Amino acid sequence: MKKIISLITAFCCMAVFTACKKKNDRAITPADGKLDKCTLRFSWWGDDERHKATLEAIELWNSIHPEIEIISEYGGWDGWTEKVSSQMSGGTEPDIIQINYDWLATLSPDGDSFYNLNDLSKQLDLSGFDKEILSFGEVDGKLNAVTVSVTGRGLFYNSDVYENLGAEFPQTWDELISLGDIFSQNGIYPLDLDIQSGGTAWYLAIVYVQQITGRDFISMDGKLGFTADDIRMALDFYKKLEDHGVIRTIQTRTDEDGNAALYQSPEFIEGNVAGVLEWGSSVGKYEAVLPEGALKTGPFLTTEDGTSSGWMIKPSMLYAVSGNTEYPDEAAAFINFLLNNSECARILGTTRGIPASRYAHESLEQNGLLTGLAYESDSMLDNLDTVTISPYMELPRMKEFYNTAIEQVSYDLCDTKTAADEMYTSVSEYLDRLK
Amino acid sequence: MKHRQYKNPVGVGKYTGLLLISPFIAGFILFTLYPFVCSFVLGMTDYRSAGEPKFIGLENYKTMLSSENFRKALGVTLKYAAILVPLKLIVSLLTALLLNLEIKGIGFFRTAFYIPSILGANLAVVIMWQYLFTADGLVNQFLELFGASPVSWYGNPDASIYIIILLRLWEFGSTMIIFLAALRDIPRELYDAAKVDGCGCIRSFFSITLPQIKKVIFINLILQTISALQEFNAPYMITGGGPLRSTYTVGMLIYDEMFKYSEAGYANAVSWVLFAVIALAVGLMYLVTGRRERDRS
Amino acid sequence: MKKLPVYLVMILLSAVMLYPLLWLLGASFKSNREIFSSVWFIPESIDFDIWKNAWKTVTPYTMGHYFINTFKIIIPKIIFAVTSSVLVAYGFSRFDFPLKKFFSALLVIGMLMPAIVKIMPMFLFWRDTGLLDTYVPLVFPALLAEEGMFIFILIRFFDSVPREFDEAARIDGCGTLRTLFLVLLPCIKPAVTSIAVFTFLWTMNDFLNPLIIIQSVEKYPLSLALRLSVDSTGQSYEQCRIIAVSVIGLIPSVAVFALAQKKFVSGITAGGLSG
Repeated sequence: MKKIISLITAFCCMAVFTACKKKNDRAITPADGKLDKCTLRFSWWGDDERHKATLEAIELWNSIHPEIEIISEYGGWDGWTEKVSSQMSGGTEPDIIQINYDWLATLSPDGDSFYNLNDLSKQLDLSGFDKEILSFGEVDGKLNAVTVSVTGRGLFYNSDVYENLGAEFPQTWDELISLGDIFSQNGIYPLDLDIQSGGTAWYLAIVYVQQITGRDFISMDGKLGFTADDIRMALDFYKKLEDHGVIRTIQTRTDEDGNAALYQSPEFIEGNVAGVLEWGSSVGKYEAVLPEGALKTGPFLTTEDGTSSGWMIKPSMLYAVSGNTEYPDEAAAFINFLLNNSECARILGTTRGIPASRYAHESLEQNGLLTGLAYESDSMLDNLDTVTISPYMELPRMKEFYNTAIEQVSYDLCDTKTAADEMYTSVSEYLDRLK
Repeated sequence: MKHRQYKNPVGVGKYTGLLLISPFIAGFILFTLYPFVCSFVLGMTDYRSAGEPKFIGLENYKTMLSSENFRKALGVTLKYAAILVPLKLIVSLLTALLLNLEIKGIGFFRTAFYIPSILGANLAVVIMWQYLFTADGLVNQFLELFGASPVSWYGNPDASIYIIILLRLWEFGSTMIIFLAALRDIPRELYDAAKVDGCGCIRSFFSITLPQIKKVIFINLILQTISALQEFNAPYMITGGGPLRSTYTVGMLIYDEMFKYSEAGYANAVSWVLFAVIALAVGLMYLVTGRRERDRS
Repeated sequence: MKKLPVYLVMILLSAVMLYPLLWLLGASFKSNREIFSSVWFIPESIDFDIWKNAWKTVTPYTMGHYFINTFKIIIPKIIFAVTSSVLVAYGFSRFDFPLKKFFSALLVIGMLMPAIVKIMPMFLFWRDTGLLDTYVPLVFPALLAEEGMFIFILIRFFDSVPREFDEAARIDGCGTLRTLFLVLLPCIKPAVTSIAVFTFLWTMNDFLNPLIIIQSVEKYPLSLALRLSVDSTGQSYEQCRIIAVSVIGLIPSVAVFALAQKKFVSGITAGGLSG
């Protein structure tokens, strides 16, 4: 019996290792510059609007290129990361993948999992993109993915509440804090920050510190730019917001909202919490639960002397081509169509944010599709001296470190210095380990 | 051992039983042993979703020992199971007794009582729980009615675990069904005889019902313990593991490490520790009940 | 009259149990604003367009298509799970064979491991067999009595049937399988029904396995189709639509349970062994 068991064990071990290794044995198919007849798989996540628009765009593609058939694989956001990461580890991923920004760091840490799009310039026209925006998709000098749209978090306020209290949207950090003092007399909070998956609490705190110190929190290649003192400054700032009633404490917030997002919270819907820090590309959800026209874009906060740097941008999503694809030219041609074709741009509209490609942007402008809060906020950001969010900053593990520190400070479990030191150690250790 | 006698009906060889359980043996090798061994091997590597796995021996287990998050999660999980399992058994047995009565419309009631289990941690349940337990939710309004001070349910790390326990307690359906099936197996004559002897409801419950279904109580105990120790979905949906990790179970930790942080190596190592903890709990239960049986005979 | 308090208790309890379902039904007609600001289930207005759209979906297929897909998985799965678990449990309960203790221990051990660790190895396994994007990986394990819990439950129920029944059947000339089907199975019908119902409900709700195995939208089961439009990272969030879709998903589960619950009680009498 023992023999049988040990035999089985040995067999399984072998199976595990061959399974894990198999992927790397595959050779990369070089580009030949021609478009052959083939079928390509394309996967994305999204909501109904995005699905509808994308399916329509694919129909258009099929009428132009009937020889290259696109098979669409799509679903909701829940579980999508799990799905794609299993596909990537099994080597069964689709040819063209819509990816999230931080997947570059987790799924392609050395830049080899995705096709180097620089090799496909014959089919993929990148002339419509800023150099800086293109660099978002680079890993180790290889262009792993192309940015579909760029977004940043902006401040949006419930203007009804502000009008009722006779208050103006804050321009500077100091104004924000004094608003807290005024609003709290009415039991209202001018802003909301969270430590859930959004993690806006830490986001605003680093914008503040970046603006004051001029240092970036984490560099694009994953080096920690803040000192422990900078982190402490960020935590102190957060605590100050709580103390002045600008935001609810974590305990109050959790008691009132449970685990729900702010746009599902009665406190926000009824106007007891009157502001939110959100990606331009996601603000529609907040707009929809307030009376029409109530949610308005606020100015990006500055210091007293008008320094406005430190606000951040990132690609809201990117397109990548699998390193295992057998049809790189065809995949590149399809991405090119999605990004640059003006007819396609009209169909897709802003379902993937405000397009980063100049050609698509122009098409939307001509068709009058560039309106609304998302566009307002993103174009205001365009005029600021922004910092690009490092893909490392967005890693789920890093978010856990930030949120733990903020939670500890909010629940008064330790002072900001201890929390800052702890966070400094865990963040730098983790970043080292990823290298 | 060599000349063991197999107690089988006449004409049945010792291999008939093996033949009957052969699907299980094949299934075990393919769907249990193979992934187990994979996971054991992976638990000793630093496997992530990209790159070559490297063998690192017991490193993951060492990390776990020194990890405060792991210790806390284990504590939360044990506390959760220790409170939930006995309560759930009692509640589901009581409702099963109630649903075993022969009254009109019993089918409707049976279905109604099972519905929470169908809902699982559905969105509706998440929103319902918010209406119940948030700061000015129904429960707090109710408490205030009686002059009690409102409780901070979601935000207080000492209270948050109880709203999850309540959710799972409310979903007692599957346990109840197994009890119900067992109750139906008790021969009616036993109760009739008891009635003739002048036994009341409560006495016949203790002297007939309980002994008759004690094996099923044991199965439910085991099954509920296993599923409570592996809990992950309810805290994931209701509290997200917070506040201050007070509802962060080992099941959630494994899921997060595996899929959110893509640390498959570590996640598999933690799974083995959880496996050991569950095995220990179940083993103890077998030991205790086994000894009792022997004492009695 | 004696039953009145019993009824009162039952009705009160059922209200607590049923309320979320009622609320869910009402919420499918509400705006986001209404959903999050009122615990009362009756909506301000009723507009069936939401339901029509939810049924139509944005995919080229209607919800009906996804229902059929789900049944293509569930029906064989129930048949396989019930047959294999009954046979295995029968073997464990009624026969003696080499290494019986060893295999009984394996049965329990198999239930202790968190199921999540199986996902990746099994994904790689099915990839190597070339059966990804088919229903085989979702159905086949049931044929090999994958669910240890079912066997575990059935063994206890088999054990509760007196051995004299088998002996009588054997004397009447029944073989091993005929004894099982003609004599024992009718006695444990409630347990068998509950296994079928559990398989149905769990398969209905199973999300992660089909998510990872099935690639084509055309082959999505209901559980995947239900979450097609949920994107918390996106611009819009139509709660009522999502709720309408999830109500559609709950209907078969509630219906199946309502139909099956009678079977839990009919076991012994149907077997003709009550006397």
